[in-house]
Amino acid sequence: MPGSETVLNNYLIVGALLFTLGLVGFLTRRNLIVMFLCAELMLQGVSLTLVAFGAYHGTWGGQVFAIFSLALAAAEAGIALALFVVIFKRGSSLDISIWQDLREADQPAIVDEPDVEAPPVEQQWPHLTVAGPLPRRTTEPKEARHDRPPAPVEIVSRRADALVNTLPSPPRGRGAGGEGGNS
Amino acid sequence: MKLFDWILAQGGSSGGISHLPPGLRDMLEQPHAGAILRALVILGCGAVGVYLMLPRSGETDKRWPRFLGGVLATLALVFLVTTPIPAGESSIPGRGATLLWPLDDQSPATGYTFFILAFISLASAVMMITARNPVYSALWFALVLLGNSGLFLLQRADFLSAATVIVYAGAIVVTFLFVIMLAQPTGAAAFDRRSREPLLSTATGLILAAVLVGTLHYAARHEGAGVNTVGSHRPAQESIDRFAKTSKRLSLESDPHVAGLGKTLFVDHVVSVEVIGVLLLAAVVGAVLIAGHPVAHEKAGHHARQ
Repeated sequence: MPGSETVLNNYLIVGALLFTLGLVGFLTRRNLIVMFLCAELMLQGVSLTLVAFGAYHGTWGGQVFAIFSLALAAAEAGIALALFVVIFKRGSSLDISIWQDLREADQPAIVDEPDVEAPPVEQQWPHLTVAGPLPRRTTEPKEARHDRPPAPVEIVSRRADALVNTLPSPPRGRGAGGEGGNS
Repeated sequence: MKLFDWILAQGGSSGGISHLPPGLRDMLEQPHAGAILRALVILGCGAVGVYLMLPRSGETDKRWPRFLGGVLATLALVFLVTTPIPAGESSIPGRGATLLWPLDDQSPATGYTFFILAFISLASAVMMITARNPVYSALWFALVLLGNSGLFLLQRADFLSAATVIVYAGAIVVTFLFVIMLAQPTGAAAFDRRSREPLLSTATGLILAAVLVGTLHYAARHEGAGVNTVGSHRPAQESIDRFAKTSKRLSLESDPHVAGLGKTLFVDHVVSVEVIGVLLLAAVVGAVLIAGHPVAHEKAGHHARQ
C-alpha cells in the first residue's frame, strides 16, 4: 500500500540535494580523503532515496538495497584508504593534482589556481593570568654557579608569610610557623 | 517573502517578459513559471552560498566570504521550507505547498522532526565540503550520518538507522580519521585552501539540483490528475503490488522490524548476502595486500612537490 507522495517527495529532494553537494565537493576539493568523503556523501543521498522509495511502497527492498550499499561503502573505504596510504608513501602528499604527472606526454598540465603561499598560521596559546605573587629569588645568577659550590636555594613566599601572620600562634612552636620562619 | 511574490508577479505577468523570445515567453507564461522561478532562486541562493564558502587561494585572512556564504546557504535552506511553491492548480489544497515540508496526514511533530533532521544533514554536508581541514570534513560527515540515520528512523528503517551509526559513523569515519592522522597530521595543507574550478563545479551542481528538483516537481504536479495523464503511469507499481499481495514478508507491517528485514535478507536475497560477504572478505585481503606492500625508499618522495 503506497504511502504519501508528498512525504516521498520531501525525502527525494533531501537525497537529491545531498547527492548534489557530494558532487560539488568531489569536483572541487583537491584532497584525496575529502574527495572520497564526498563520494560517501553521494552514497548517503542514494541510500536516503532508496529507503524513501521502500517506505513509500511499504516493502523491504529499499532497505535491503541500502544495507548492500552500506556494505559496499565499507569495502570501498577499506580499499581506498589502503590505496591512500600507499599513495601518500610514494608522493608524500594527498594533493590530487600531483598525480597529473601520469598524463600523456603531449597533454598540457592543468593549472587550476595560482599557487599562493599561505601565511603561516600563528598559534595562539592561551594567556595564563598570574596567580599569586612571584617568588623572590635569593640565589646568585647562573654564571656564578660553576665557581663555587652552589649556595642553598632559599625561596621565600610572601604568601606563606602572610599566612603565618594571620594564623594564631602555634601551640607547639613548630608546624607552619617553623616552615616560614627561615626568612 | 515579498521578494518572491515580486518574482512571481514578474514571472506571471506578461509585461516584464514581453521582450523575450516567443518560446521562452510561452514557457514563462505557464502557470507554473512562478514556481519554477522560486525554486531556481532558492537553489541559486544555496549555490552562491556554497560557492562563497568554498576555499579559495589568498583568502585565508579574509573570513567574510565564508560568513556571507553560510548566511546565504542557511537562507536557502530556510526558504526551502517557508516559501510556498504551488504544485499546480489541480493539486489538493495543503499538499505540496512548499518544496520541502511534509504537510500531510502525519502529525506535525513528525514534520518538524523531519525538517530539523534534514536541516542538520544538508547544513553539515555544506560544512563538510567547504571545511579547510580534512579532520573537520570527516567530523561534519559524521554529523551528516547522524542526521541521515534520524531520517531513516522516520521512515521505519530502524535497523538501517542503527547500522548507519554503528558501521558508518563508528567504523568508517574513524578509519578515515586514522588515515588523516597518519598522512596529514598537521591539519589543513596548502592544497586544502584552494579549490579546483569552484565556479564551474557549483554551476554544475546547480544545474543537477535544478533538474532533479524540477523533475520531482513535475512528477508531483501530475500526481493524481487522472489516469491518462503523464505522471500516473507507474510501471513498477503493478509488479510491486502483486509481490506485496503474494508474499507477506515483503510488507513493512507484517512482522516485527528486524525479523521481517532478516527474513527478506536471508530468504529473498540470500545469494546477494553471500556475494557481498565474499566481496567484503576480498576487500579486506586486498587492503592488507596493498597497504602492507613496502615502497622502495629511493622511490619515496619522487612525486613530492616541495
